[in-house]
Amino acid sequence: MDAVADKKPVAFNRWLPYWAVFQSDVRQTLRSWVYRFWVLLTVLAAVGYLLYNFGIYHEVGIVQSASLHISKLLYWIVVVSAVIICVLTAGSITAERGTMADSVLSRGISRHQYFLGKWHARLATVLGTFLLLGALILISAWFLLHEDLSWHGSLVALMTVAVLLGAVITCGVTVSAIANSTVLGIAVLWTILCAAGFLLQFLPARYLSPDRALQRLPFILQGHYDLNGLAEFAGWAILVSCITALIGLAYFSRRDV
Amino acid sequence: MANNSSDLVVETFKLTKIYQNRQIALNDVTLRLERGCVMGLLGSNGAGKTTFLRLLIGLHRPTAGWAKVFGKFMTPNAADLRRRIGYIPTNPQFPRGMTPITYLDYMARLFGLPREVRKPRLASLIRAVDLLRVSGDPIAGFSNGMTARLAIAASLINEPDLLVWDEPTHGLDPEARRSMLELIKTLAREKTLIVSSHNLSDIDEVCNHAAVLSHGQMIYCGALQDLKGRMRRNHYELDLEGDQKALAKAAQVIRALPEFRMVNLKQRRLELYLQDDAVNTAALANVFMTLNDNKVTLISIRSVGQQTEQAFLDLVEKEESRGFARIYQPEAA
Repeated sequence: MDAVADKKPVAFNRWLPYWAVFQSDVRQTLRSWVYRFWVLLTVLAAVGYLLYNFGIYHEVGIVQSASLHISKLLYWIVVVSAVIICVLTAGSITAERGTMADSVLSRGISRHQYFLGKWHARLATVLGTFLLLGALILISAWFLLHEDLSWHGSLVALMTVAVLLGAVITCGVTVSAIANSTVLGIAVLWTILCAAGFLLQFLPARYLSPDRALQRLPFILQGHYDLNGLAEFAGWAILVSCITALIGLAYFSRRDV
Repeated sequence: MANNSSDLVVETFKLTKIYQNRQIALNDVTLRLERGCVMGLLGSNGAGKTTFLRLLIGLHRPTAGWAKVFGKFMTPNAADLRRRIGYIPTNPQFPRGMTPITYLDYMARLFGLPREVRKPRLASLIRAVDLLRVSGDPIAGFSNGMTARLAIAASLINEPDLLVWDEPTHGLDPEARRSMLELIKTLAREKTLIVSSHNLSDIDEVCNHAAVLSHGQMIYCGALQDLKGRMRRNHYELDLEGDQKALAKAAQVIRALPEFRMVNLKQRRLELYLQDDAVNTAALANVFMTLNDNKVTLISIRSVGQQTEQAFLDLVEKEESRGFARIYQPEAA
C-alpha cells in the first residue's frame, strides 16, 4: 500500500520556486556586509544629527525645526542610500552567475519567477528597512526636536522617498539581469541614474522631478503638500519601475546564464 | 536511435551554438535518445559537451536548431520540463552559508515540491549519500567527494526521469568513483541518463550508447558496441603457464603463422599482433591449438588497450584526416 501511495503524482506548488528565491534573497541581503554597512551608516548619521540638534535646542535654547532637519536628513539618506543601493542591487543576479545557473536555474524554476523573486526580495528588504529607519527617525524627532511635523505629512514624505528608492532598486536589479559583471553593472547603473537625474531637471516646472520632490520635503513633513502632484509623481515612478522591470524580465528570460 | 517521436526523451535538430559571434561551441548536432538509454557523451576539452548539456536543460539558448525534451521544446522558461530532469554540473558549486539540509530543502522548493513530500525525501537522500553525520555542517568545508555526493542528492530530489550528469566522476577518489559508477548502473534500470566524461573507461562500464563530439560537431552517435566494433582488434596479450622450453617452442610455431605480423614472448606473457586483414577468431583458434599441442596452460587473455578509448581516438583521428571533406556529414554519424 505504501509503495502505491509513493507513486501518486506529486502536486507541484507553482509559486514555491518564486517564494524560495524570495526568501533566500532576503536572507542573503540581510547577511551581506553592504546592507549592514548601509544600515549602520544610516543609524549613526541619524542618531548623530538628531542628538546634535537636540543639544543645540536643549543647551542653547535655539528652536530646531524638526521638519527642516528631518528633510535634510532624508535628503542625504536618499543620496547616500542611492549609492549603496546601486552596489546592493547591481550584483543581485550577476554576483551569482556561476552558482545561480547550476544550482538554481537548472531546477524547476522559470526565469520569470527567478527575476521576480529577486526583484521583490530586494524591494521588500531595502524599502522595508528604509521605512523602518525613517519611522524611527520621525518618532525620535517628534520627541527630541520642535514638533512641527504632521503625522500624515510624515507618512507622505516617507512614501515619496520610498517610491524614488523603489525606482533605483528596480533599475539596479534590471541592470544586474542584463550586465555580465557586478562592477560593470554598478558603473552602468550610476551612469543611468546620474543622466536621468540631470535630464529630469529640465522638466517643466509644473512637473515634480525627483530633485524638486526632495526640495519640498520640509513642507510635506509639515503637512503642506499637493496630494495630486505627489500622487502623479509616485505614479510616474511606479510606472518607470514597472517598465524597467519588464525590460529586465524580457531580457533575462532570453539570455544565456 | 528511435523512429517514433513519442518514445524520445531527448531530440535535437541541427543544434548550433555560437557565443557572441566569436566561438562556435556546437555545430549542427542532431540526436535522438529514447527512454532507458544510458548515453555517454565523449569528447576532448572544448569539444562542446558542456554546451550541449546546458542547451538541453535550457541554461543556454540555441543560436540555431532546437532541442526537445520529453517531446517539448526546451526553453529557459520551461520549468515544467526541468522538473523531470536531474542535473549535475562539472564542478558543483553551492550557495554560501548553507548546510546539506537547507540546500536540499532549497532545491526541493525550487522544484515546487510541497513540504510533506520534500522533507522525507531530503532526509532519505542525505542518508543514502552518507552525509547524515555532516547534514548540519556548512557545505563550504566539504571535500570533493562530499560535494559530489550532495550534488547527486540534489539531482535526485525531484525523482527525475532524465538525468544529465556532466563529468560526475571528476575529481573523485577511486572509492567514490566506484560508488558513483555503481549508482549510475542502478539508476540506469529505470531512468534515462546522459553522462559526459573524460574517463572513457567509465563510459565503457556504464553506458549502452555513445555520442562523440569533436570541435563542436557530432562525429558519432549510436550504440557503444557499434563504436567499439569499429576498432581493429589486433593486439592481444596472453598470460601462460608451462615449461619455458615449451613456451618458446609454441611461440616459434605461432610466429610462423601467416595471420600474425609480430609475436613476442616476455617471460610467461605472449604478445600477439595480428595482420590487418586477419580474422581474429581463426588466428586465435590456431594459437590455442598450438598451445595445447605444447602442453601450455592459458591463464588469461585480453585485448590490449581500452576498446572505447581506442575507438574514440580512431574516430577523432579519422575525422581530422577528412580535411575539408568535413563539410559533409561523416558516414558514421
